[in-house]
This record gives sequence, structure tokens and C-alpha cells, in this order.
Amino acid sequence: MIKAIKASKSEKILFIFLIGLFIFAFTSFFLLKNKCLFVEKNNLNKLKFNKPNNIAVMNVECGNVIIELYPDISPKAVERFKILIEQKKYDGSAFYKVSKNTFVQAGDIEYGNINNLDYSKIGSGESGLGLLKSELSNDFIFTEGSVGFARTTEFDTEDSEFFITLKEIPIYQGEYTPIGKVIYGLDILKTIKKGNKAIYVLRPDYINTFRMFKFN
Amino acid sequence: MKILYLFILIFHILHVNADEIYNLIKIPNLEIYKLKNDNNIRYLSAKANFKIGVNKNIACDKVAINNLNKKFPLIEKNLNKYNSNFLNKIKLKYIVLCENLFISKINTGGIPDNKNRTLILDINFNEKYFERMIHHEIFHMIQNTHIEYFDENKFSSFNETSFNYAECSTCSDRLNLDLYEKTDGFLTEYSKSIPSEDMAEIFSFLMTDKETIKDKVNSDKILNNKVNFIKLNLAKIDKNIL
Repeated sequence: MIKAIKASKSEKILFIFLIGLFIFAFTSFFLLKNKCLFVEKNNLNKLKFNKPNNIAVMNVECGNVIIELYPDISPKAVERFKILIEQKKYDGSAFYKVSKNTFVQAGDIEYGNINNLDYSKIGSGESGLGLLKSELSNDFIFTEGSVGFARTTEFDTEDSEFFITLKEIPIYQGEYTPIGKVIYGLDILKTIKKGNKAIYVLRPDYINTFRMFKFN
Repeated sequence: MKILYLFILIFHILHVNADEIYNLIKIPNLEIYKLKNDNNIRYLSAKANFKIGVNKNIACDKVAINNLNKKFPLIEKNLNKYNSNFLNKIKLKYIVLCENLFISKINTGGIPDNKNRTLILDINFNEKYFERMIHHEIFHMIQNTHIEYFDENKFSSFNETSFNYAECSTCSDRLNLDLYEKTDGFLTEYSKSIPSEDMAEIFSFLMTDKETIKDKVNSDKILNNKVNFIKLNLAKIDKNIL
């Protein structure tokens, strides 16, 4: 005859603890690992824009980042940016340079694309469209979400790379060509993968698609 | 595989101090000290020690804020002598303030970097020469951007034919910055090191002690020619700087 053994009080506590631990581990693995979980998605069908011609939509892992371009401030830079978007050159572009809560940078078409990522040359690639003259503005303040054309240490070397600020960076005023500002989706950009104590990112996140907004 | 790990390690170490200021002028560990100025100069201070340059041969320490607050008015007063148009021409926009500046283990007051439009200044530099040192270093930026106006051979020809400059500014023992009682073509011992230092010394006195220069050139023909050379060519860049 098999005698039923009752669990002691400490065994019951241990059992409950193990169940709790399992639930925590499960939640952490499937939910918290998802960096996009608490990021607000932007539904393009529900948004209205004053200047739809100047709206660009950058789709990344966590959703759409919506950027208003400023051709009145930097006509040549915006024209170049639109050309590259129309030619789908930014699709698959790596956010290879990310400074935590400071800025993200992408747009190296030659060496920074998912199909051709060259760590030794990234940041030096060219679009093939030639260099642009810097269009600096002493009035444009690089507040959170500002989009600027990147350049080398010299002015007039803008090509295709761009950065987006994740905080106000006053020292960039008059230093970089402003292209526009993020009007929706800044939180999405804050989920972009950062480097480990470094500004350059190994195995970076990518732009899925980058398109001009289509409106009826 | 080991090479890959090594590459990743180097990749990380090289950029460990990067931030938005580093991104702009390639000097790590800086913070904004004063941004808005009439001549658009931007003052940055070292919040931690930094090393830059080839083989990290330029090193400077973080500033003690009390020390900087005490010395800043003098620095600003001297840099306010230059207008924004002139500063644009000589490619100077950022002043990096730090303590105990060394290049290749030699203590120095300032290091100009036209490429990044930056002048690094050691705020602990000898007080006696501090103001002059600022203008001295600025002259190097002027010369670097306007080499055609400050031809060293032409300048050297004002000297006695028997005089020879040293091979480089640090490979001679002519380092004293005190003003000579009897000039004989040179304002200081350091003026005798190389032509560009000679020019920079003259410029620094012109910016800080014009009366002394006026007095000295009256009895020194060589110095008079040199001063006129500097004045004439500076006027080609900006008529109002002197």
C-alpha cells in the first residue's frame, strides 16, 4: 500500500518560488527581450501633415519614423536627400554610428548597406552623386529629433550620410547642414542598437525602407 | 578568430570616449564651457584627462572649475580682440581649455589645429607670458592658413647674414620668453629658434604691448623691418586686427 506523503511547508514555498522564477524567466525571454514592445507605432493613415510633399517615412525594426524635410533652409541638401530616397538607396542602410541618447547615424550607401557592410571602410562611402556644399544655418537649433547631413572634418563634403539627434546639441548649430526634423517616432530611434561603450556598432540595426510619403 | 577578437577590441577602445563634441573636433572628454560669444568663439573645457594625436602624443588634464573660472576672463578678453570674420579666415572656432598640456612629453602653452578649427590652451601656463602665449599660438593659425603672406625665407632675409635659426623650435635651447633689453633683431630668445616662432613672438607683442614694440623698433632696423612685414601682411587679411 502506497502511503501518501504530504509536502512540508518549506517544500510548498520552494515550489511556489520555482513557479514564480519560471514565469519571470519566460516573461523576460519573450516579452522584455522585445525592444519594440512599449514603443508607440505610427499609423500613417491616421496622421495628417501640413506639407505632405516634404514628409519622409523611414521604416525601422520598431516602426515608422516620420521626418519633415526643410527645403527652405537647405534646398540642395533636401533635394539630394529626396533623390536618394526615391532611388531607394537608403533601404538596408546601417545605423553604424550610435551615441547613446545623443545621435544615430546612417546613410553610407557604398560601405554601410546590409548587402555590403565593410567595417574597415564604413563612413567613407560615396553615393556617386558628388559632394554638396554645406548649407549652414545660424538660426537652426539642433533640438531633439533634428536631422542633419553628416560630413568629414571639412565643410562642403556632404554626400549621403545623415544623423538624427536624440537630444538637443547646441554645439551643432552652424556646424552641420540641417535637413529636417522627426515629427513622429523619436522613441523608435532610441531603440536603435548602440555600441558596447563605443560609438561604432558591430552588427548594427538597419533601415528597412525609406520612402517619401504618398498622399491622395 | 583571434584576429577578429583583436579587431573588435581595438574597434571599441579607439572610440570609447566618443560623444557629440568628439564627433565634431575629435577631442574626447570635453564639455561646453561657454557657447554664445560675439565673435562666435566656442569655449570647451576638459571634464577628464585626454590624449590625442599621432601615437597619443598630445596629453592634457581635466580643468579644476574654480581655476578655470578664475582664469577665463583673461582668456576671453584676449580672444575678444579678434572678430568673427577674421576667426573664420584663420579657421578658429573652438578653444579647448585644459591643464598641463604636453606634446611629445614637452610642456607647451597651446596647440593650434586648423583642420579642426581648434586651439588647445593650457590654463596653467606661466602667468607672466599667458596672454602673449594666446596670441603667439593664434599667429601660428594665421600663418598656417595664409602661408603665402608669411614666407619664411623672405622674413629670414631681414636678419644679419651670419645669423642662422635652429632646425626646429624644440631642438634648440633658445626657449626663454623674456623680452630682451637690447633686441638686435629679436624680441626674445625664443624668437631665435625658427622663423615662424620669431614671427609669432612679434605678433604676440603687437597684440599685447604695442608701445614696447614702438619703442624697440626706433633703435632696431632689423626688428623694424620684421614688424612692418608682419603688419603689412596681416592687413591683407584684416585691416583692423592691429
